[in-house]
Amino acid sequence: MNKEERYDIVIIGAGHNGTTTAAYLAKCGLSVCLLEERPECGGAQETCEPIAGVRIQPHAIANYGGSAPGWEQLELWKYGFRMDWKAGAIVPFNTDRYMTTTDGLSKVTDKDKMGYAKITGLLTDPPFFKDLMRATFWCPPHPPHVELNENTIPFMQVYKQHQPDMWTRELLEWTMFDLMDEYLDTEPFKVNQAWIALVSGAHGHMEGAAIPALCSVATVMPPAVAMPVAPRGNIHGYYHALLRCAIAHGAVVRTCCPVEEIIIEHDRAVGVRLRDDATWGAKKIWANKAVISAVHIKPTFLEMIGPRHLDSGFLQRIKDLSLKGGSLYMTHYLTRERLRVRPKFQTPGYRYEDYGSFTGPFFPNDSRELYFENVTEVMGHQRNLTIPPERAMYGMVASETYAECHPQSTRPGVYINGPQWMLVPTPEYNVDGMDAMEDKVKWNEYMRKALSQVVENLDSDNIIQILGESPREQEFRNTGMLGGSWYGLRCDRDQWWNERPLPELARYRVPGIDGLYLSHQSSAHPGGLCLMAVGYNLMHILIEDGIAEPGDWWYASPWYIPEEGKISAIPNRPSSVSTR
Amino acid sequence: MKQKRELVGQPHPQCFFSEFPAESDWDAVIIGAGPNGLITAAYLARAGLRVAIVERRYEVGGGLATEEILYPGFYSNMHAIYHLMVDFMPAIKDFDMERHGLVWIKPNLQTAMVFGDGGSLLLTRMIEDTMDSFHKYSDKDAVAFGKLMRNWRRIVSEILAPATYIPAMPPIDLTVAMQRTDIGREMLELVEQSPLDIINNHFENDRIRAFLLYISCMWGLDPRETGIGFYVPLLIDRGMNKCYLHGGSHKLAGALSREIVRAGGTILESSDVIKINRHNGSVTGVELMEGRTLNSDVVISSLDPHTTFFDLMDKNKLPTDLKDSVERWKYDKWSFNTVHVVSKEAPHYACEDQWVDESFMTIFGFESTKQLLAHWDNVVAGKIDKNSLGGHATCESFLDSHLVRKPGHISFFQMHAPYGIDGGWDKRGPEIMEAMLAKWAKAAPNMKRENIVMAKQETPKDIEIRFPNMRRGSIKHGDYTPIQMGCFRPNEACSNHSTPIKGLYLCGASTYPGGLVLGGPGYLAANRVAEDLGVKKWWKPTKEMERYIKTYLT
Ligand SMILES: Cc1cc2nc3c(=O)[nH]c(=O)nc-3n(C[C@H](O)[C@H](O)[C@H](O)COP(=O)(O)OP(=O)(O)OC[C@H]3O[C@@H](n4cnc5c(N)ncnc54)[C@H](O)[C@@H]3O)c2cc1C
Ligand SMILES: Cc1cc2nc3c(=O)[nH]c(=O)nc-3n(C[C@H](O)[C@H](O)[C@H](O)COP(=O)(O)OP(=O)(O)OC[C@H]3O[C@@H](n4cnc5c(N)ncnc54)[C@H](O)[C@@H]3O)c2cc1C
Repeated sequence: MNKEERYDIVIIGAGHNGTTTAAYLAKCGLSVCLLEERPECGGAQETCEPIAGVRIQPHAIANYGGSAPGWEQLELWKYGFRMDWKAGAIVPFNTDRYMTTTDGLSKVTDKDKMGYAKITGLLTDPPFFKDLMRATFWCPPHPPHVELNENTIPFMQVYKQHQPDMWTRELLEWTMFDLMDEYLDTEPFKVNQAWIALVSGAHGHMEGAAIPALCSVATVMPPAVAMPVAPRGNIHGYYHALLRCAIAHGAVVRTCCPVEEIIIEHDRAVGVRLRDDATWGAKKIWANKAVISAVHIKPTFLEMIGPRHLDSGFLQRIKDLSLKGGSLYMTHYLTRERLRVRPKFQTPGYRYEDYGSFTGPFFPNDSRELYFENVTEVMGHQRNLTIPPERAMYGMVASETYAECHPQSTRPGVYINGPQWMLVPTPEYNVDGMDAMEDKVKWNEYMRKALSQVVENLDSDNIIQILGESPREQEFRNTGMLGGSWYGLRCDRDQWWNERPLPELARYRVPGIDGLYLSHQSSAHPGGLCLMAVGYNLMHILIEDGIAEPGDWWYASPWYIPEEGKISAIPNRPSSVSTR
Repeated sequence: MKQKRELVGQPHPQCFFSEFPAESDWDAVIIGAGPNGLITAAYLARAGLRVAIVERRYEVGGGLATEEILYPGFYSNMHAIYHLMVDFMPAIKDFDMERHGLVWIKPNLQTAMVFGDGGSLLLTRMIEDTMDSFHKYSDKDAVAFGKLMRNWRRIVSEILAPATYIPAMPPIDLTVAMQRTDIGREMLELVEQSPLDIINNHFENDRIRAFLLYISCMWGLDPRETGIGFYVPLLIDRGMNKCYLHGGSHKLAGALSREIVRAGGTILESSDVIKINRHNGSVTGVELMEGRTLNSDVVISSLDPHTTFFDLMDKNKLPTDLKDSVERWKYDKWSFNTVHVVSKEAPHYACEDQWVDESFMTIFGFESTKQLLAHWDNVVAGKIDKNSLGGHATCESFLDSHLVRKPGHISFFQMHAPYGIDGGWDKRGPEIMEAMLAKWAKAAPNMKRENIVMAKQETPKDIEIRFPNMRRGSIKHGDYTPIQMGCFRPNEACSNHSTPIKGLYLCGASTYPGGLVLGGPGYLAANRVAEDLGVKKWWKPTKEMERYIKTYLT
């Protein structure tokens, strides 16, 4: 067997972002090799069946990527992409919605809805929702010569063009709460949105993060669908379409091939070396054009490259990148009967028999004081939660909601519920130690109590098994999730756009090492979620560097600004961007 | 072939993206993406047909599964782990699996059997090593084994293995063909004997008999049944050549699925086929549970006969013979019950011969042929005697570092078990798992509670829940009995992989040559379809097959 191989592009890590990048580059006609450490590709975009007939989503669940250019550019439908349109999930925006608070239901008012529709671009004709999402996620950070201000930041440009009455310089200073106070009505709705933003990677209370935070919530809801929706085969089904797009265009995919070293010669990344036990004869794989690291930024620099090629100051800054935020404790409940919502939380349409009407609560949405109490507990104290489970904020997606005709449990006589997820301190910083949350019996019980505030029959008679997963376990399962952080590093203003992950790395290139690019949620704008965004944004840069030459199918982001002295990623033809 | 419409994306009215369309046209649709469905699809896709393969689960592979059942952090090969036919399977050569990074390990110590007094027997790749271990108990048997295997190996490599990939012959023709050579005649003599007779005739020591009987019958032969004796040399020889696919069995499914996609085929997971459409008696396509229709004049099912003919079609519109034969179909007489564990230390067997710890497969629990037969008789009667059970175990992490994501070892203990157990699995499951763990701890004293971090049982019912087509936990989609083998599998009308229904083909384990990861049914079905459609085959028979054809068929 030949011990060495050569490709144009070698990509490390077949998670969502590595694979998107592989699909784009293979479609450009480049020879691509995608290397994955685990037995299965997909990274955090996965499904598993730990109990016969019971399928769970250990990590990603909902499709946040609805506005991605990738759908058109990569034509995922060709590779079997389907959605799971649950009839009940297609709720027009004008039906009644409720938020759960300790006191019961709080109705979302017309002012809430109109305000929300306005700030997310749904009121204009045509709506500018998709532009807003694309401006926020699907545009590479501007080159350093561009001054960042209210006129150059893409989402600001969108507001200015489409909703000028909303445009104010202050949008760049506000927290999401400030924005919501301006346009929305009820506190529980605002708290709910802020909390979803918090667990989606842009905190509701962070100054200057108002719009990214808003968009992190809004992107999960295609405009006419006021609920998150899931692909058929769940989030892993979406992944399959991506992977197969890459394969159909010739990408070579290898599982059980952990990369140990990025080989650097004369300040250029020229290939990778695999770990000894990699299930592949060739232990060195050479890259003619680029090595792309689609794994966590810390191992990329600290372990795969190291001090021989990098300056110690730079390495220290990588070490110092915070892993804080985004660590979730996840539970699924296997039960004998369906969960029953307590009477005070039953919405008018609620019917116990119709499982679809149980969408899983986000609770408690009482007030921003409670929100801050939770935030301080998790982010501030960095110790195991002491907040009573009655006051702990969590979210839940009832699995069955996502199952139009392919229920997640085909095991007779049992129901699978969840995931329920709660933000918890990052193990790396937990003052009680890395393993402080490994007492899973205890934390499963804590989660159960929290959910029992809303659900009345979550008791030992009903529960067959609780499947819990701690952040440490997420990290073990998926080395891309250091600290179990699902969006990779905290996403405040200095982790956003041109600052992510460090200003000099924000354009996906690595200064001082040619031919090395970054494409992981932790290393690139816009970070976490399965958006096909990092790959799309990186394409601009690879075109600039003369590596990728896409065909007619390519269009650049309308807000993209080419770097001086480089090839522009804007094709020399009328843009085919469809703006709605 | 009819002109097929181009595949077009279907925009969703409320979203920005298109989906796979509600209706589409194909040259061939394959139902079920187990090893066989995948192989059929891969051959046909590369032959230029426009192929879609539909899989009910969220992941392709069927019995080729490497999944995280010990959740979170540990992967197991929960179904097929012992790959018996790697040396012969045409698909491995035709698709150049090495190019896909597939590496099969063939451990030298293949199977060990350990006994209560610390004794053990070994079956190894090298005949001599096996003989050495037999010498401890009987010089005569050791010599007999050496002598037998020299002939049996030829029977396997020259007849049985290549015949796995050549269409079934009626018994009379087969008998005539086999007369041509000595080994052919020897093979015919074996056919008429039961496994028990064959083993008893050749070996005198009871432990050696029990060991070889286990290896011959573990895949579901009735030890006392005549007419299937040729399986004894096949399974003993293949039992000495089992391979483990490094990185897990699913890697084979992954590689095959990439072949399909590379050749332009489409894979649709998370969709049950709920109906095979027919018009004027011919097949016109399939319907998926979510309402999509795939049109095709060729539909190839890898499912069991009941699902294909009764659940997906109108049973009353079938030819009477076919309907009767499906009704008569017998599912496997026994299934597997498996306990998967994570332990801090790998199992360490109480055995004089320390090499046993490195065995690919370790059999324990049985001290004699009588006890082994009693266990199997119990199983057939729907019973498990908790004091006298046994089976085989493998420590997967010993072979494969990729399966563990957290510190620890993974192993499983698998035993033959009835699907319809007295009292039902829901009720009896926990006590049986305890009994199995106790038995394991007796054979390997470190497999005690303190060492076990997590344990998970997969019962025959669980097998059926994961794969409804493995009815009654039938790992081979149907029993191995003389009237369900060869050209009778699944019945005379369908054993050549076409059916009396125009356009409908079969490619799964319920067709010739049968279950396990042989790659036989899938390969033969692809050949049949290619021949019927007049599609040029891009592949050629392997050299073993060519030799067989030359010696016996021309
Ligand atoms: C609990 C949870 C819930 C989530 N919910 C959602 C949701 O509902 N919707 C959504 O869109 N997103 C969600 N996400 C986020 C989303 O899953 C991630 O942002 C996304 O999958 C990250 O993709 P990635 O490719 O950047 O990283 P990863 O998925 O981490 O991929 C990195 C890959 O590289 C591999 N790798 C690591 N080291 C090496 C090495 N040395 N050599 C080779 N390969 C290596 C890893 O095994 C992995 O496959 C959730 C995440 C979590 C944890
Ligand atoms: C516990 C266990 C251990 C085993 N150990 C071994 C071993 O060590 N070595 C070995 O060689 N063999 C072993 N086997 C047997 C082997 O796995 C099977 O014989 C083999 O997988 C059969 O392959 P197949 O392609 O014919 O069918 P299957 O593997 O059964 O594949 C059929 C596929 O069809 C899908 N399907 C079902 N219904 C539908 C529908 N309506 N629509 C669409 N798709 C559908 C199923 O989900 C499945 O993926 C084992 C089996 C089990 C259960």
